[in-house]
Amino acid sequence: MIATRATQAAPGLSRAARLRSVLGLALLVGLGACATRPDPTDTEAVAEFRANNDPLEPMNRAAYFVHDGIDTLVLRPAAEIYRVFLPPEVRTAIRNVLANLRTPVILVNDLLQGETQRAATTTGRFLVNTTVGIGGIFDRATDFGLLGHTEDFGQTLAVWGAPEGPYLFIPVLGPSSPRDVAGFAGDVAMNPLTYVGGETVDAITITRTGATALDTREGLIEPIDQVRATSLDPYATIRSAYRQRRVVEIRNEPTGAAATSDLGIGSGIQGLRR
Amino acid sequence: MTVTARRTLILGTLGGSLGLLSPAGGARAQQMEPQRAANFIRTTGQELVAAINADGPVPQRRDRVGAILRQAVDVQGVGRFILGRWWRTANAQQQQEYLRLFEEVLIRNLSSRFGEYQGLTFSLGRSQSRTEEDVLVSTIVERAGSPAFGLDWRVAEVGGQPRVVDVIAEGTSLRLTTRSEYSSVITRNGNNVQALLGAMRQQITQLAAREGT
Repeated sequence: MIATRATQAAPGLSRAARLRSVLGLALLVGLGACATRPDPTDTEAVAEFRANNDPLEPMNRAAYFVHDGIDTLVLRPAAEIYRVFLPPEVRTAIRNVLANLRTPVILVNDLLQGETQRAATTTGRFLVNTTVGIGGIFDRATDFGLLGHTEDFGQTLAVWGAPEGPYLFIPVLGPSSPRDVAGFAGDVAMNPLTYVGGETVDAITITRTGATALDTREGLIEPIDQVRATSLDPYATIRSAYRQRRVVEIRNEPTGAAATSDLGIGSGIQGLRR
Repeated sequence: MTVTARRTLILGTLGGSLGLLSPAGGARAQQMEPQRAANFIRTTGQELVAAINADGPVPQRRDRVGAILRQAVDVQGVGRFILGRWWRTANAQQQQEYLRLFEEVLIRNLSSRFGEYQGLTFSLGRSQSRTEEDVLVSTIVERAGSPAFGLDWRVAEVGGQPRVVDVIAEGTSLRLTTRSEYSSVITRNGNNVQALLGAMRQQITQLAAREGT
């Protein structure tokens, strides 16, 4: 019995130790080396290096490795449990409520980008879903032809002409860039609850953050499984998909899909939203 | 599984398998008529859906899907685009082998997921827009009980025939994503094209194993 427990514990310990060493390595790499720059005479290699926009690749790959471990051990299992224990109707209701709670931030960003038409749609969605949709549980606005879209401050910064900066992979949060990190902070600052203290508000914020994380990861179970199973280099696939997708989101191009990710920081292969 | 997740899954894999596509670069002088491209996509889509939903053993359906893809997709041009700068560093034998593996990956990606695609229907979306080199045809893919999702097809004229050169799922071009993936594999293996071929062979083995389950 004890022996069994010991053998079971061993892989866990070594995993933790490995994680620690990787974290250390990530720090070292981050402080020290950048990606090896290609031979400047090889114009195609230089062009590819620029197109990938990933001068911090060694650090990012280490961060991706850490993220992958955390995701396998914690995030994905949590999302699986969320899916198993809550019926689809409840999960859809939660998704709708979260989307509705986010509408004010989308509205502010619509306005900051000078998108009056989209701002009107966002306002209409909030009014309809909050009332007829009973606090956002049902997405009745879509039935009225008011289709949802996303906006975040990262996109607003891009519209204002802020440079993207080098590609970043952040454990737990996923692919990003300095601009999207700043945008994420901006969105938090736009949320009125950020400035209200008190235990109740804190509890609401924590619940909302947790629910958003579970909902997001649950929607990504299959796409990420698929990338892990079929991509010859998941890191490169996610980097490419995320960056392409942000460009489309910033331009507000119709993608033939419904409104998508709630976060400026995401997998870049986010599931479709209702 | 939620509707959303399912939708994403289908989208991701359809894109993943059909989307490894593109122009060979260069000779694309002829203009494609949007209506012709749309008709071509409608026909090809219907053939593909019929083949996937057909009765019969998987190998038989896979052969049929393979025949449709070979006809509809500019496999050579897309394959070359994706290999990009490494095409010239590969020797003739590696180029041949790469194109053969590329086609096989394309087909196996679809055939390993026949079960999930059962009951799929397919219709043309509202817009067809012409770009400089090709036409973008938007389509709507539906399954019973699932909301529709959009998939955009890039169609170019190759050798006088309309051919699919890219699939765009939610703003993500699969030919660009795959190019980045393949190039990364080669670069990280000491700029060795042979490493990519080995990885592709392994991938085909894995996909074939999934098909069996």
